[in-house]
Amino acid sequence: MNASLRLGLTSLRSHRRRFAGTFVAVLLGVAFLAGTLVMGDTLRASFDTLFTSANGGTDAVVRSANVVTVPGQGQGTRRPVDTSLVTKVQGTFGVAAAVPVVEGSGQLVGADHQPIGGQGPPTRAGNWITDPKLNPYQLAQGRAPRAPGEVVVNRGAADKGGLKLGDTTVLRAPDPVTVRIVGIATFGGQDGMGQVTYAGLTLADAEKYLTPRPGEASSIAVRAGPGITQQQLVDKLTPVLPTGVEAITGKAASAESLDMVAGMFLDLFTTLLLVFSGIALLVATFSIHNTFAIVVAQRTRENALLRALGASRRQVAAATLAEATAVAIAASAAGVLAGIGIAAGLQALFPAIGFPFPNGDLVISGLSAALPVAVGVLVCLGSALLPALRAGRTAPLAALRETAVDQSGASRGRKITGGILLPAGVAVTLAGVLTGPNVLLAGAGAVLTPAAFVVLGPVASTYAVRLLGGPLDKVRGITGSLARRNALRSPKRTAATATALMIGVAVVSLFTVFGASLKTTMDQTVSKSFAGDVAVSARAFGAGGAGISPQLAPAVSKLPEVKTAVGLGRGVADVDGGGRALTVTDPAKLSGVLDLGTVQGSLAGLGANGLAVSADEAGKRGWHPGSTAELAFPDGQKQTFTVRAVYAERELAGDYLLTREAWAPHRVQDSDSLVAVSFRPGVPLPEGKQAVERTAAAYGSPEVQTRAEYAASSASGIDMMLTLVYALLALAVVIALLGIANTLTLAVHERTRELGLLRAVGQTRAQLRAMVRWESVLVAAFGTAGGLGLGAFLGWVLVKASDSAGTSAFALPPLPLTVVALVGLLAGLVAGLRPARRAARLNVLRAIATE
Amino acid sequence: MSTAVRTATAARVVDAVKVYGTGDTEVRALDGVSVDFHAGRFTAIMGPSGSGKSTLMHCAAGLDTLSAGSAFIGDTDLSALDDRRLTLLRRERIGFVFQAFNLIPTLTVAENITLPLDLAGQRGDREWIEALVDTVGLRDRLHHRPGELSGGQQQRVAVARAFAGRPDVVFADEPTGNLDSRSGEEVLRLLGRTVRQTARTVVMVTHDPVAAAHADEVLFLADGRLVDRMPDPTAERVLDRMRLLSQSDDGVNSQGRQGT
Repeated sequence: MNASLRLGLTSLRSHRRRFAGTFVAVLLGVAFLAGTLVMGDTLRASFDTLFTSANGGTDAVVRSANVVTVPGQGQGTRRPVDTSLVTKVQGTFGVAAAVPVVEGSGQLVGADHQPIGGQGPPTRAGNWITDPKLNPYQLAQGRAPRAPGEVVVNRGAADKGGLKLGDTTVLRAPDPVTVRIVGIATFGGQDGMGQVTYAGLTLADAEKYLTPRPGEASSIAVRAGPGITQQQLVDKLTPVLPTGVEAITGKAASAESLDMVAGMFLDLFTTLLLVFSGIALLVATFSIHNTFAIVVAQRTRENALLRALGASRRQVAAATLAEATAVAIAASAAGVLAGIGIAAGLQALFPAIGFPFPNGDLVISGLSAALPVAVGVLVCLGSALLPALRAGRTAPLAALRETAVDQSGASRGRKITGGILLPAGVAVTLAGVLTGPNVLLAGAGAVLTPAAFVVLGPVASTYAVRLLGGPLDKVRGITGSLARRNALRSPKRTAATATALMIGVAVVSLFTVFGASLKTTMDQTVSKSFAGDVAVSARAFGAGGAGISPQLAPAVSKLPEVKTAVGLGRGVADVDGGGRALTVTDPAKLSGVLDLGTVQGSLAGLGANGLAVSADEAGKRGWHPGSTAELAFPDGQKQTFTVRAVYAERELAGDYLLTREAWAPHRVQDSDSLVAVSFRPGVPLPEGKQAVERTAAAYGSPEVQTRAEYAASSASGIDMMLTLVYALLALAVVIALLGIANTLTLAVHERTRELGLLRAVGQTRAQLRAMVRWESVLVAAFGTAGGLGLGAFLGWVLVKASDSAGTSAFALPPLPLTVVALVGLLAGLVAGLRPARRAARLNVLRAIATE
Repeated sequence: MSTAVRTATAARVVDAVKVYGTGDTEVRALDGVSVDFHAGRFTAIMGPSGSGKSTLMHCAAGLDTLSAGSAFIGDTDLSALDDRRLTLLRRERIGFVFQAFNLIPTLTVAENITLPLDLAGQRGDREWIEALVDTVGLRDRLHHRPGELSGGQQQRVAVARAFAGRPDVVFADEPTGNLDSRSGEEVLRLLGRTVRQTARTVVMVTHDPVAAAHADEVLFLADGRLVDRMPDPTAERVLDRMRLLSQSDDGVNSQGRQGT
């Protein structure tokens, strides 16, 4: 074994404790990364197995080739196919069976009268396919629906809603349909397709409630005869199909469904986790770098002796790197194992908390084992590189001098670099935000600014600790004063320790500020645009829910309390080759419930061939009242419309307003997403609300909210996201906390004699503990303050950069930010506990006698 | 605050026994020592390496505990005190001067001098402290950090700190061990002058006969026992006595527990 390696390893063995913090930091970061990768692979594989087994019997799918996809709305809207085509397909050579598949949205109501699901995953309804091989669902209990109103539901939905065989409930399609449960089904042996709920009706019911016209099906599922492959079947089918209708293999259809689930959920989920494990590892980098820097400084004499005895710079540096490599490999390997453990734990945990992920063995690919190890080793070696080089540069004469703690920090070069970098970063960011906004410039600034913070850390730490610790002298007397001065001792070290926490706190505050700003924006949007008294909305999120029955708005209009009630539905069409969302409503009455701002032209009398567009959209396309626009609908028809009005406020109304009359020929399943209601003058709000609620009860009880409630609930999704983000960031904060604890432990070790002296001249154990704890809190306070400032600034940048219309609000929520600040300080307090306890346990005499 | 007038003994140990280790590795650092340190006097403790002189001082000062016997500061039995009360006692009634590393590097000279008082949250006697500062001759250095002072100046600061709270007794452990002879002489004169002018009590451990000659009385320890006392010492007489001790106690050095 070579000398450097041997030196590194011996030194590691004798100072194992010093690297405990580094070890844990690398382990946690790597475990997070490995766990994410394994979890992602496992979920993907389980879904793959699930879809393959569930759709195994379908050899080909016949469907319309025409699809309109609106950006940001996963699955497109596909034109239906004629049911009469089934006979033609059945007659084709090689086809054993073909059945129409009618699909739509349908939300079941549980035994507690609450809708089942709808918070993310789709809520589906369709015809129960009688050919068991073509039906991805299998009956687990009961029988198939035969009469109108009979339904089969998947077991997961039944369990969640407390529904049993024979129960009667309501299916919102979105018109409420009273259904009786005659069967419980499973999907590929599982309770359901993930969290998706399913209700299977008779074909007649499905056609009646889920399609605008009978005789149309979403697609046709085809089974091949013996000896015919899927591809052969598709080749046979293609020539007999009319234009605009295509056939794809069952495998391809299955892959598409998987892609949809993966695209909408898995990718987002894993990307999010990867980003946060990246943040955790970044924080770890600072902690690890700091540990090595301190250890090298403490070992100056030892390294100098080695140099004096003839070790080359390279050998001394190599010894330190060997140490880092050993820690890195051990910690990364342990991290991968821990990550696999986490994934296994989550897999077991999810079903327990009612989140039925498909079963299946853990999938541990070579990549998900190798990548985290590589990243862990890289992070560790990268962090140790500079300290190792510094160790190599130790002058042999340093062996003769007193061990000196590195007290540098605020060097001229650093001040100049930081002094240029910070204004440059801020300027670039401001330029990016204020001109345009230019996302590229803003992004560059958003990278430069934190970099400047890191460079300026040691300069700032001196001032910040003095400032933050100022009151400590008065409150805690000499103990506080000593703590403050200890924190000031090595500005570089204090800054490096605090930087780890600063990054964690900055990301937390960035999300807090961004989330609060989004909420404020939504709130303002609703209060600005919503001119009605109450809003009726289907409480749903993502692809879930079935919307509101289009019958509700007319029924509410008839109430004596109500002046205007307008339903807003959704449609889609291609405009200039790009999918756009349409708002299908009664534009003439809309101004009674929504504030559309300045309207050019007239919203009344759009008729079947007129539309209104937002000023934004009109500006982009160069339209004004009188222009013509060609819309291509999902059913393949193109129609030319005249722009009759241009309105300013698009927040609730969307970019295109269309009458129901114009949309009716092209419509798919009909539903409203919002019914806006305004009362007659003199009608008290609670009374009017109750009246609307009574009417809504007959239409599946969608939620009736006052303006304030509606604004608040619009923003509720943001809180959910924030909670998730906080949970993920907790790890980064824990790693930062470990970094502080580790630095303090090393500092305590370094100051053993001094601590002994303090104890000898009368510092009590409690005072000593308080001194170490306060130092920890001060370092944390510095990091937290920096993080809050940086996070607030970057939050502002994010809000402004993502807002081209200039309508977004910026909010600094005082309460959440105070909580963040307190958590940061608390982290410091907790980090100081162990080092303080250890320091207090020092034997006075032995401490004084230490070299 | 006690005064030399009221108690004749500032500190004492009675049948002090200190044993390190057990079985084969057992070392009796103190083997039944009884000694009174008279108030208002400057006492030096001498003895060869391993004679137990440092252990005696540490136990008398409450930095270490005895295996048997008892130690008193004034009338307070140290063995009856827990760590907290021992710490408070050190803070209020004892002053320390160590061989090296006497000062907290982050505190100024002035802050180092008042450290025990500050730890106790007391202001102390300002006049007394001002007088001390003048006695040690560091008025122009009050706002410097220890790192900016010479070794001799640092030890003088330590002396001022030791006396700042008017303690019953000041223990000095080889206070000149790290100094050149001129600086050492200065520190010793300072200790002696303070004892005589202000009726303070100092107990000093040293291995240097010249240093011991500054004391009012020298105690000689060997093998953990008190073997002799010498009032009004001179350097020559102390040196002679020490030569005699090391001849009769050959091999004591191998006892492990070092006495410097």
